[in-house]
Amino acid sequence: MKKLILVLSTLAVVLAACSGGESSSSEGDGGGDSTQTLTAWAWNINIPVMEEAAERFAEENPGFELDIREQGTPDVYEQITTGLQAQGDGLPDIMLIEDDRVQGYLNNFSDAFLALDDYGFAEDHSDKFPEFKNELLSLDGSTYGMPFDAGPGGVFYRTDLFEEAGINADEIETWDDFIEAGHVLRDELDVAMTGIDINNDDGVYRMMLNQQETFYFDEEDNINLTSDESIRAMEVVQTLDEEGLNENLVGWDAWLAGLADGEVATAPSGAWLTGSLTEQAPDLEGKWGVFPLPAFEEGGNRAANLGGSNFMINADTENPDLAYEFMEFFSTSEDVQLTAMEGGLFPSLNTIYDEEAFTESVAYFGDQQIWDMFAGMMDEIPPANYTGDYSIARDEAETAQSEVAEGNDVQEALENAEDRLSNRINN
Amino acid sequence: MRQSTTKRFLGKLGMYTLLTIFLIISVFPFYWMLVGSTNPSDKMISSPPTLTFGGQFMENLVNLNNTVGIWRVMFNSLFVAGLYVVIALIVSTAAAYAFAKFQFKGRNTIFIIMILSMMIPYQATIIPLFQMMSAYGLLDTYFALIAPQLCYPFAIFLMRQNFLAFPDSLLESARLDGAHEFKIFTKIVLPSMKPALAATSIFLFMYQWNNFMWPLVAIRTEEMYTFPVALSTLNGVSYTDYGQMMMGISLATIPIIIVFLILQKHFISGMLGSAVK
Repeated sequence: MKKLILVLSTLAVVLAACSGGESSSSEGDGGGDSTQTLTAWAWNINIPVMEEAAERFAEENPGFELDIREQGTPDVYEQITTGLQAQGDGLPDIMLIEDDRVQGYLNNFSDAFLALDDYGFAEDHSDKFPEFKNELLSLDGSTYGMPFDAGPGGVFYRTDLFEEAGINADEIETWDDFIEAGHVLRDELDVAMTGIDINNDDGVYRMMLNQQETFYFDEEDNINLTSDESIRAMEVVQTLDEEGLNENLVGWDAWLAGLADGEVATAPSGAWLTGSLTEQAPDLEGKWGVFPLPAFEEGGNRAANLGGSNFMINADTENPDLAYEFMEFFSTSEDVQLTAMEGGLFPSLNTIYDEEAFTESVAYFGDQQIWDMFAGMMDEIPPANYTGDYSIARDEAETAQSEVAEGNDVQEALENAEDRLSNRINN
Repeated sequence: MRQSTTKRFLGKLGMYTLLTIFLIISVFPFYWMLVGSTNPSDKMISSPPTLTFGGQFMENLVNLNNTVGIWRVMFNSLFVAGLYVVIALIVSTAAAYAFAKFQFKGRNTIFIIMILSMMIPYQATIIPLFQMMSAYGLLDTYFALIAPQLCYPFAIFLMRQNFLAFPDSLLESARLDGAHEFKIFTKIVLPSMKPALAATSIFLFMYQWNNFMWPLVAIRTEEMYTFPVALSTLNGVSYTDYGQMMMGISLATIPIIIVFLILQKHFISGMLGSAVK
């Protein structure tokens, strides 16, 4: 009996001790004891550029420190969402948020993010960023974030396989050409054209919507899944799948593996894929190239965006001025943004597009000037209206995509998706 | 006679073939994990798949340690899971004993409420729990990681079922001999419950070792990472180092294998015991 009480009380003491011991840095939003310290959440490839920026910023602001916590994606959004639902508890001063999450957060928690209007971010800097990014980060006329990297879309393709099959990438101007090339590839080499994850990823469909200046929603936030553009885009996916040109690679890892081992010859994707390819498939150096997305008719728009991320500042930060100053420096410093490219990120700051880093040829891509090509697209990328309902819209679009792949009528599948989506939004 | 021997031989052959297949299915992921931890990241997605050990063991380990500080993570995980098992075992054993062997008003109601609480999805409790911990300034502490699930309904349920099988007459004779209730519990009941205690310990340990959602939101700094959280930070949007990832998973697997091997004998007899009863 006495022994047990002794054990229990020891445990109580131990437990109490560990609660006290580490609590000094318990709240992320305080930013530590110094008024010159900011906390930030970001994921792996962004860390080096943030460290670099903090170092440069500290040169002019002695004592400045940036406390970066490396997060994984998509788990970081569990943490952000929990924090936002708990009225901003425990959130860092600065958060990195991907394009497709921004509007959802802004619509549901607009008070949680620092509006940058008082600081004049839009007046001073909006011309330095592409139109689609500026629109993405604003809600009801206010700006809530700073653009970081973008994902101008292109078709990554295996130059060696194309050559072997006798396909000229320059001649692929429309999605019809793309499909035709897919047939040649299948007949000649028995290689799949694309590796779209039919049931879980509608990225290609989304890029096709974006390039046609539409999205899940139109400009007035009405659901727009049954537009002519949407039907045309979904038909391309259906054709690729039905005619055996698509290899259904489930999940990111399988897709990347398919690209690395030559199972799939092209990847319509964002510019950030360069980083993944050079890291995960170094053996294929010189065998990749990029051409712009095919258009829907000859001479049509070939620019679209997939992915990219932005920095947003916590409205409850103790240091809004410092946070703004640092992030303004981060976003508009040419040197900082150039270091971002080392990790394969494509900066959306357009004042650096004439730098050498953008015009040089890239060995991995057979000395093609891919950065120059991507940079040229940035101004052509139409804004996409994500709205606060993006994630459920995407869910329904992906359901429609899998129905279409099973042979259902495109129009019908999209009408059903539209009905389901409007039910979910109204409930 | 001969025919039956052949038959038996064929039967055995079939059984062993089947067992071999299952063995390969269950062992291969571990083998693949170890292969991954010794190879560079790009080898994990190459074709044909890499099935042999590479020479990157130390490099992956060093990289992983640079990224997440893996020894600290190991300590955190062991400390949190270890302390959790000890306290949660005391709590659930005591509670289960009361539910099984004492008559008191509202016993069944309380028990049912507790069992029903198992049906509340974990995710639903995260935000209130987070607000609570944040209000008391307890986020990012070991306390926040250990305390919330100390009363683990399933563990209480499991222990209670085992206590129910304990004969009341033994308790009565101990009482007649003048033994204190506490003495009966610690000296007479608990020693015969070793298999059940081992089984419950393994459940609790696995639960806390694999716990991800709550530590993910409750931990603020790298110094407090447990294995699941540390491994999740290796995931990027467009880049993941599989070598580091596999190395991390390998390290995370070792303690749980050790714990299981130590408690295995009790664990299996505990499971069988409760199955027969």
